[in-house]
Amino acid sequence: MSPPRLARCVSGCARALLLAWVAALLAACNAGPPAPGATVIVFKHGKLFGDPAPLRALLDEFERHHPGTVVREETLPAASDEQHQFYAINLQAKSPAFDVLAVDVIWVAEFAHAGWLRELTPQLPPHERAAFFPGPIEAVTYRGRVYAVPWFVDAGLLYYRRDLLEKHGFAVPRTWEELARTAQAVMAREPGIVGFVWQGKQYEGLVCNALEYVWSNGGEVMSGGRIALDSPRNRQALAFMADLVHRYGVTPASVTTATEEPSRHVFGQGRALFLRNWPYAWRLFQDPRSQVHGKVGVTMLPRFEGGVPAATLGGWQLAVNRSSRHPEAAAELVRYLTSAPAQRQLALAYGFQPARIAPYRDPELLAAQPFLATLERVFAEARPRPVTPYYVRVSQVLQSEFSAIVAGLKTPGAALAAAERKLREILADET
Amino acid sequence: MKLERELDRPLWYLLPGGVLLAAVTLFPLAHVLWASLERRSVLHGPPRFVGLENYLRLAADERFWNALGNTVYFAAVSVALELLLGLAIALMLARAWRGRALFYGVILLPWAVPTAVSARMWEWMYDAEIGVLNYLAGAHVNWLGSPAWALNAAIAMDVWKSTPFVVLLLLAGLQGIPQDVYRAAAVDGASGWSVLARITLPLLAPVIMVALVFRTIDAFRVFDAIYVLTGGGPADSTETLSIYAYKALFQGLEFGYGSALAVSVFACVGLAALLYARLMREALR
Amino acid sequence: MRPVLRAAGLALVITWCLAPFLWQVITSVRPAAELMSLPPLIPTRLTAEHYAAIFAGHPFLRIIANSALVAACTTLLALAVGAPAAFALALLRVRGRAVILAGVLAISMFPPIATVSPLFLALSALGLHDTLAALVITYTTFSLPLAVWLLTNFFAALPRELYAAARVDGCTAFGAFARVALPLAAPGLLAAGLLTFIFAWNEFLFALTFTATEAARTIPVGIALFPGLHEVPYGEIAAAAVTVTLPVVALACVFQRRIVEGLTAGAVKG
Repeated sequence: MSPPRLARCVSGCARALLLAWVAALLAACNAGPPAPGATVIVFKHGKLFGDPAPLRALLDEFERHHPGTVVREETLPAASDEQHQFYAINLQAKSPAFDVLAVDVIWVAEFAHAGWLRELTPQLPPHERAAFFPGPIEAVTYRGRVYAVPWFVDAGLLYYRRDLLEKHGFAVPRTWEELARTAQAVMAREPGIVGFVWQGKQYEGLVCNALEYVWSNGGEVMSGGRIALDSPRNRQALAFMADLVHRYGVTPASVTTATEEPSRHVFGQGRALFLRNWPYAWRLFQDPRSQVHGKVGVTMLPRFEGGVPAATLGGWQLAVNRSSRHPEAAAELVRYLTSAPAQRQLALAYGFQPARIAPYRDPELLAAQPFLATLERVFAEARPRPVTPYYVRVSQVLQSEFSAIVAGLKTPGAALAAAERKLREILADET
Repeated sequence: MKLERELDRPLWYLLPGGVLLAAVTLFPLAHVLWASLERRSVLHGPPRFVGLENYLRLAADERFWNALGNTVYFAAVSVALELLLGLAIALMLARAWRGRALFYGVILLPWAVPTAVSARMWEWMYDAEIGVLNYLAGAHVNWLGSPAWALNAAIAMDVWKSTPFVVLLLLAGLQGIPQDVYRAAAVDGASGWSVLARITLPLLAPVIMVALVFRTIDAFRVFDAIYVLTGGGPADSTETLSIYAYKALFQGLEFGYGSALAVSVFACVGLAALLYARLMREALR
Repeated sequence: MRPVLRAAGLALVITWCLAPFLWQVITSVRPAAELMSLPPLIPTRLTAEHYAAIFAGHPFLRIIANSALVAACTTLLALAVGAPAAFALALLRVRGRAVILAGVLAISMFPPIATVSPLFLALSALGLHDTLAALVITYTTFSLPLAVWLLTNFFAALPRELYAAARVDGCTAFGAFARVALPLAAPGLLAAGLLTFIFAWNEFLFALTFTATEAARTIPVGIALFPGLHEVPYGEIAAAAVTVTLPVVALACVFQRRIVEGLTAGAVKG
């Protein structure tokens, strides 16, 4: 290409760019600025729901009740890690760019300790706390004060193939030992069926799974403010978890790569007998196009002999940014979105699991979403992971050690001893 | 005629780039270096200067050495494979006659797909239960879940993704070599391999160096691909320095220690670059 | 190399590059019900529902436009700033040339996760939060090292006689740069430009941190917003991957043919 052609090419590109820029600017102008004098509250949350319309309708209603206030939603990717990273950068920089944020249940103590959240005790005074499940309330309380209001909850469940259990004459297992025996027996008789799938990849979900074994054996991570990780009960519980893969053979070795979706797919294709997962999977299994439609039952997770069933608490809470420029309006929005009518509406529209107890006894709601009736008891007893500002660091240690147990690289004793040593360093590290 | 007597001074050519780089990178880099000398943990109160304490902690940290080992292994194997494959492909492509533009585009595909997407796709392909690799091979290998295989599976994905980068650079280099050089060699009766070794490679040496250096830099800083594939597991067997730094910075909220980890990546890459420069000088002599 | 071997080699390479991408294409036209099941390998029926979904459920067209704008601006800016710098470093006498090159390289040696936080502080302070300009500035800066290094090599490899002849003919240094050096370094310009474009097209970390709304959202962040709380819509992700990759590849083909082959065909002179 001779120089004049090159020059023409470049100028052509430049012209095209200019046009594109102008077009983009014009398109941006269509959004339009809010009316002057209006208070704009930005609600930042991870992508939670498929159809944004019902939530938007709720926010529009809030705007009608509070003239002069405009609520703008901004979504973050659903991945918990990416949201945590975003909040870490923004909140540390004291950015006022958003007012209300949705926080994961494990972050509240951390963000509160870092001074990133506004105290919300007025929005959730003690006499109103009984209206929520106890687990989330424990998670949002730090040093006696409330820093977030529970919005919706999640907890671990056991899914099972009702048709296979009936065919081979087994009852729904109530203890872990029973589950292992049942799975082994059915696997022997049904080729191509895997016994029990759960989440064993090195990530937060593994800690949720592992703690369910630990707690259902009467063990603890922290007790009375002290670390109680390396105990005989915990070793026993985690030895069982490892045995699922290495001794009983009911869980495939590939559990070390499994997160919620891969395990859900294996079960959803009819290739597994038992699945431990969150409630979201139920709706997908009940879909008429699903291969396990009508064959799935759900119940609380089993316990060990002499223990109580335990489920890990998940879910999201609403909090107010300490650096927000409109704290009162933001707190109002939080109160509104966590109020009983709003939670009921979101439950109706999305099958959302409210953090309040009353909706689970509402006949109209139960008629529309019957699954909620099963969930109430599970949520009432769901346990939050250790509520400490250092939880994310604690979780990293636990993830690494638990992963070593599942992969068969370390015995439960060695892993727990190493974990306890590292946790002591983290938690003693206060200056 | 003196080339040195210029009316346009070099300064004018270098100024725009220099200003941009200085304006954008000086503050962040200084910040990282300074933060690595501080105890800057959000959960532990205001930052305070602690000198080399973070680096001492680094030296005693077994997780750091594990991550360093994983990173060096990953970088060494993937860069070597990418260079060899990239050279072979570039040589093939340079002599292709028709449809070269089409091949060029196709070969670029792995590099052009966004990492976030291709990492997810590979994670799914590698899945032991429902992945297509095990389906086609009829096997049941736990690619991403066994400590022995996981890092190698990640390397395979990185090689697939990054070889086009090397091909692109080397092809550009090859296209810059004038044809008469080869014609002269043909007249002298030189064989294929000797042309490659005595003419092509030495002429390509500077571009190979660029490819080597930049691939090494990227391999040492690898984060997205491995994080999606394995998250650093199982049991930290695929945790690289960047993943450790990410977890320290954005999960542990330890900005001081995380910055020290980032500086350690910088130091490793700097060492590697110096090594390459030395080797290249020796080889060319 | 014998032609047959070469053809076989090329076929192997094409298969290796194409196969995972082909898997994405197949996934993108698979009906949702069959998405995760493995027999059948090829779906029983084809569907465009995923392609429809990515444009209906998200402002994907706007997102693609944003990415295109950012990538194009970044590429032009990086080449416009980098090429003269490389020319000076290669052909003009610059003191401390090795130090400058090493310094430029050192900038790219830091992991981006460390620099994202202070950069965010700086850009927010300048009022550039949630703008495309923030992305263009950042991407240009971080693509300069590769562009400068690559082009320095290309300019240095140019025969000095051509450059000297141009000067003798009365060109200023800049004239020689624009009329002689640039066209001859076209393969290098194309390579640097393409790599910069792809970097800006696919970059995720800075895009996620510096932007908040669709006004400045780019493709990688847009795709990261597809998954819901637990569910991952593989079909949509595959459709998005195909939609955003093919234009880049087409661009590469066109430029390779027009610019490079056009130039190098004419460069076969005595």
